[in-house]
Amino acid sequence: MKIYRLALFMLLILMITLSGCNQSEEDQESRLSLIKTTNPKPIKIPNKQNESIAKQVKKDVKKFDEIFDVAVVQGKKDTLVVYKVKHFQRFRMKQIESSVTKELEKKYPDEKFTVSSDYKIFMEALKIKEHMKDPKYSTTKAEKDFEKIIKLKNEQT
Amino acid sequence: MGKKQKKLTPQQQQYQQLEQKHEIPRPVVKNCLKAFFVGGLICLIGQAISYFYIAYFDFTEATAGNPTTATMVFISMLLTGFGVYDRIGQFGGAGSAVPVTGFGNAVISAAIEHRTEGFVLGVGGNMFKLAGSVILFGTFSAFVVALIKTVLIMWGVI
Amino acid sequence: MLQGKQTWVYQNRPMIASTGVSGGPFEANGNLADDFDILHDDLWMGKDSYEKAHRLLFEEAMQTALQKVTLQKDKVEFIIAGDLINQITPSSFAARTMEIPFFGIFGACSTSMEGLALASFIVNYQGANNILTGASSHNAAVEKQFRYPTEYGGQKPPTAQWTVTGAGVALVTANNGDLTKPVITSATIGKVMDMGLSDPFNMGGAMAPAAVDTITAHFKDMQLSPSYYDLIVTGDLGRIGHETAYELLQKNGLKFEKGKFFDCGLAIYKEDQPVQSGGSGAGCSSTVLYGHLINEMKKGTYKKILVVATGALLSPLSFQQKDSIPCIAHAVAIEMSN
Repeated sequence: MKIYRLALFMLLILMITLSGCNQSEEDQESRLSLIKTTNPKPIKIPNKQNESIAKQVKKDVKKFDEIFDVAVVQGKKDTLVVYKVKHFQRFRMKQIESSVTKELEKKYPDEKFTVSSDYKIFMEALKIKEHMKDPKYSTTKAEKDFEKIIKLKNEQT
Repeated sequence: MGKKQKKLTPQQQQYQQLEQKHEIPRPVVKNCLKAFFVGGLICLIGQAISYFYIAYFDFTEATAGNPTTATMVFISMLLTGFGVYDRIGQFGGAGSAVPVTGFGNAVISAAIEHRTEGFVLGVGGNMFKLAGSVILFGTFSAFVVALIKTVLIMWGVI
Repeated sequence: MLQGKQTWVYQNRPMIASTGVSGGPFEANGNLADDFDILHDDLWMGKDSYEKAHRLLFEEAMQTALQKVTLQKDKVEFIIAGDLINQITPSSFAARTMEIPFFGIFGACSTSMEGLALASFIVNYQGANNILTGASSHNAAVEKQFRYPTEYGGQKPPTAQWTVTGAGVALVTANNGDLTKPVITSATIGKVMDMGLSDPFNMGGAMAPAAVDTITAHFKDMQLSPSYYDLIVTGDLGRIGHETAYELLQKNGLKFEKGKFFDCGLAIYKEDQPVQSGGSGAGCSSTVLYGHLINEMKKGTYKKILVVATGALLSPLSFQQKDSIPCIAHAVAIEMSN
């Protein structure tokens, strides 16, 4: 019995040290997106060149039956589309991704899209949205964060 | 069984039939249920750890697999060392043997067992005594599947 | 003296002057903990390997047996012992410590009775005055050799048995007329039986025919009726083997009550201990006989018992090469003189 208790204790310590003290308030909502539908407003990182298509893109992607939550972030040259797939449709993840990409490319031939269904990317997209509320958060900073997400998305195992 | 049975003498067959009567059968259905829940529980813990890495570190769903596996093996190492995992194994059967924790347990239990024979011949030589065949046949079947896929792509089937 | 085909009768009735029994933590929680002389609460027993702990168990059992009758070890002529480990090193190494001439024997889990039969034979014909004989096993050391690592989480089927950690030793001496000591009257040496079973997780089922063969031969050679003995003891048949053996004996015409058929492997542990079908190993029959049963005989519970220790003569190599498991059983009859 002593051994069990010791093992449990070690696990507890492990959990505490791992989950650690990096609880910052602002990230709370984006983390919650892991478990619940957030349905965030589409955002555009402000710049002068092109008009906003973010809203329309979001509407288009939401039309897919298999998808239940969509976040769109429009950057300078790239538009990030992240969505969550319904649980039992996750087996068809690849097919869904390619049909979403095709649909978007057909409709907006001039835009470049980065399409992802990854929770992590969704969270990060949400984070940018959160940060944008802060007036001190500059466009360049946002663009930088945005680039980082794109890079993360393309990272391989 | 058929081929084996032929080699037996009638006397042996007769005895084996008698013995079968007294043999306690493995409770297959019960074992399957236990394996399902124990295996499911281990995977649930794994999923939680995976989400944890996604939420707090720069891992995506695609890249969180590696650290999750490492953590699960680490936990299984602790449990093996404390002598808990073999009890889980007796209860859960395949449920605790099939996930990566079972693989970790196979490696670590052998390492612990042969510690008394020294680090090189004991731990080094025996660590993969049980897990070695998993690695060998895992790699080999991966190779075969990759080969089949390559050929199919060359022929334009997929 | 040979009687019948395979039975020795000891006219001089050598006696078991004393016994020494040591055990591990699992046995300490078991049914017969009170009958052990020494119990350890840790499998390592303060040693740095399980094999050394195994040796310690056997040394302690021998020393205890000598202490009980305050006999110096140089008065003992021979040790006859064995165990399950490769080249029976724990027994030979313990014999090195004792500095007594040594016969190493191997009969798997039947070693205890093989040793007792041989020791009695030598003492009966004045080949020696005092012989220490015994058998030992250590759960972790044996599992390591025959099965998987101790901490490996493999599921054992309900037919599997748990190797006993323990050593039992008897001091066999020439009969000096002491009526409070049990004497050895006869022994039947068994032949190797193979019923083609090959599952190392079902040893009881494989060993049962050997036990039946030896018991049948014993009654035939001695021309006794089954009711002669108060108790017929099998070594480590476990739940399956014990029931199978009982049914076979009934079929062979040896009819006796089920209550008189006793199995050491079933007796040593409690119902709630996770041992599947019961105990096994060389230490199983030796600890139960030299501990529990001899104590009961001295108390008068039993007057005449026949102990049949069964052994599965397999090696890790032979079962991996898909060989079947040949088995052997030796029977020794022990009686109280009074």
